[in-house]
Amino acid sequence: MQGTIIRFKFNKRDGFKYLSHLDISRIIKRALSRAGFRVAYSQGYNPKPKISFSPPTPLGLESLAEYADVIIDENIDGNEFKRRINKELKDEMQVTVAKNLFIKAGSLMNEIAVSLYTFTLDTSSSNKRLTEGFHRDMESSLIEKSGFLNSIYNFEVIPSKEASNIILLKLYGYAKIFKEKNNDFFKFNDFYPFLKERLQEYRINISNVKKEELFLIAEDKIKTPVDVI
Amino acid sequence: MKEIKRLSFDLLEKLLEDIEKPGRYINNETGTKSKNPEAPDYFYDKVLMALVFPDIYEVGMSNLGLQILYDIINKHKDFSVERVFSPWIDFEKKLREQNTKIFSLENRIFLDCFDLVGFTVQHELLYTNILNMLDLGGIKINSKQRGEKSPIICAGGPAVVNPQPISKFMDFFVIGDGEDVITRILQIVKAYKEGRKEKKWFLNEISGLDGIYIPEFYKFYYYPDGLIEKIEPEKKVKKAVVKNLDKFKIVQNPVIPNIKTIHDRFIVEIMRGCGRGCRFCQAGFIYRPVRKREVESLIRQSIEGIKNTGYDEISFLSLSSSDYGEIEHLVCRIVDSQKSGRFSVSMPSLRLDSFNLRLLELIQSGRKTGLTFAPEAGSQKMRDIINKNIKENEMMECIKMAFGKGWEKIKLYFMIGLPFENNEDIHGIVKLIEKIIAAAKEKLPGKKLPRLKINVSINAFCPKPFTPFQWAGQDCPENLDRKFDYILKNISKRYVDIRWSDSRKSIVECALSRGDESVCDVIERAWKNGAKFDNWSDFFSFDIWEEAFKKAALDIGFFTTRNFSEDEVLPWDMIDIGISKKFLLKEYNKSKKYAGYHNKI
Repeated sequence: MQGTIIRFKFNKRDGFKYLSHLDISRIIKRALSRAGFRVAYSQGYNPKPKISFSPPTPLGLESLAEYADVIIDENIDGNEFKRRINKELKDEMQVTVAKNLFIKAGSLMNEIAVSLYTFTLDTSSSNKRLTEGFHRDMESSLIEKSGFLNSIYNFEVIPSKEASNIILLKLYGYAKIFKEKNNDFFKFNDFYPFLKERLQEYRINISNVKKEELFLIAEDKIKTPVDVI
Repeated sequence: MKEIKRLSFDLLEKLLEDIEKPGRYINNETGTKSKNPEAPDYFYDKVLMALVFPDIYEVGMSNLGLQILYDIINKHKDFSVERVFSPWIDFEKKLREQNTKIFSLENRIFLDCFDLVGFTVQHELLYTNILNMLDLGGIKINSKQRGEKSPIICAGGPAVVNPQPISKFMDFFVIGDGEDVITRILQIVKAYKEGRKEKKWFLNEISGLDGIYIPEFYKFYYYPDGLIEKIEPEKKVKKAVVKNLDKFKIVQNPVIPNIKTIHDRFIVEIMRGCGRGCRFCQAGFIYRPVRKREVESLIRQSIEGIKNTGYDEISFLSLSSSDYGEIEHLVCRIVDSQKSGRFSVSMPSLRLDSFNLRLLELIQSGRKTGLTFAPEAGSQKMRDIINKNIKENEMMECIKMAFGKGWEKIKLYFMIGLPFENNEDIHGIVKLIEKIIAAAKEKLPGKKLPRLKINVSINAFCPKPFTPFQWAGQDCPENLDRKFDYILKNISKRYVDIRWSDSRKSIVECALSRGDESVCDVIERAWKNGAKFDNWSDFFSFDIWEEAFKKAALDIGFFTTRNFSEDEVLPWDMIDIGISKKFLLKEYNKSKKYAGYHNKI
């Protein structure tokens, strides 16, 4: 029988950010089973459900962008999939997008090229010049002189629209090695303490941080895993 | 009314920084059922109970008893129960540094804000953890020092069939099955809370219920040598028994852990109690009478539970699954109801013989993960003494058949230090393992032989209350170590892996198991000197315990290596477990006969 491949995006927030990649995959598998989906299984000695996930998010980091591909042995529409699985998942972990995958796609684990992390920075002041100065310093000393330059695809420093004391740092880190780019993996767990320490010099605190989106690189542009299908 | 204080999520997040496996301390698993406090006074007319498992989350969440009580209590409109597990070392340190009390998982309510705190105690080496958790909860460990505002503290579970070693710390104990009696207790807690009664009133009210032991209502008189002269009053506490297991459905919507636990599967109790009567086995006696669940409703409920949980493994729990009459029917029906090859069934206590090897093939669905045998002793004489009815030739026949069918992993359980044991019996263990290796060489196809693995687990015998061996002295650690070394030296390491439990840990377990109320002070002192997680080899320190016994002027051997005399008043004699002391003694004498009979030959 022709199966359906569903690519879905889900989040893990609040308490659920403290669950590991393996925990999350176990929770998803059980939810699929409770929702009554006939997930396809691998052949062989120890059959495993055919489901694959995007690379792990560090423990304790909120994520709005976890992706998974699952093969189901029946015709299921993405929207129905989303509705049924969300009933079996907690509010802290909900599927936000589910699409049928008709093209042959590479595995998420291999294809994800860039992860976007959003740091909410609290300057405790509403100085516009501070933002500009911070942006300059960010580029020159913080990123360029640090050892992280080679692992960063891009970054933006944006003043928040809601509050004048808030700056957003949007950092696109490499999640894949490209031979031609000679880049490194972005290591969040190394970068975070580094950033925290450097920001203390500016008296800036990180009030929130989350993994916001994942991207693939296609034709030299970044696209989300559901945009490419 | 007591104010219910809770830890905020923000504070929890601060505490969880750099904490190992933070998933242990967060809540909101699928299946949680505690009531949500919508308003601050929501719990004023409800009874709030903390169900405390004095070990870490991964261990506690593998326990069926916890899930059963959780289910029953939370189904009641007037009661709400929340779970509390022991923090791991790193989190305890953080809590103490930040002066934060331990809290429940569901609504993060601090332990001292509950009306009733109930510990479920699976074994004696958790006693120090109980004290540690009370202390972390800001509750005085000694019941006499706790005021009227303190929660009422109780304990239940198999370890406390002899409650005396922790009697000083508990307001009351629940002996036996908890399902019926817990609702009765909570109704009385409700009246106590609403009527603003005194604790004494509450204790008087519950004292009439089955299974309730209240330490302050009993007085023990001692001879100068430490033996008990008499216990007053003479009236015994009758174990609480659920006569018909089917009265309570199986837990079809258990709490499904978010993090990986020790046993991560759907658990179903098929039978309680065991009629085999192995003389060393405490569970075999304290869970009597044997009661089984009706098979058809069990099948229906199990299938429903698998559907509700999404688990791909079911575990049928009992003390001896092969004694469940319709076991094959049960297994076949469950396996048939699921997709083949993706669902597994486990039965921890399946007694293997040639007949049910077929059953095992079915449940392992071709995977042949391993076979477990528990001959417990190496010689027939010893197996007769302990009343373990496994005949060597039958077991060998089954093992040979298994090798022939392609199994290559065997697990064996033995005990050493059993009553009336001699060197020949120890040598018997070596001989039995050699025979199994020889059988493998004969039956296993040549290319499979190198993969043969025999895992041998050896434990020190520990005499337990309410068994025929409750009077028998424990072997001393030097002897135990010598016997183990003998086995280790004489076994070919090529195919065999041997595990040995620390004999000194068994000594402490025995003292905590057969102890009287004087042991309370030893436990308190040991805990104050750092003892906790005593069951974890990394933390267990015999020195702390030795020192604690010494400081209390007690000889540890009085409770361990000493043969208790048959006319002695035992520390647990005020408990009526449902089996008479006379019967246990008769069984003990039978075992002596077996020892004597074989000696003559």
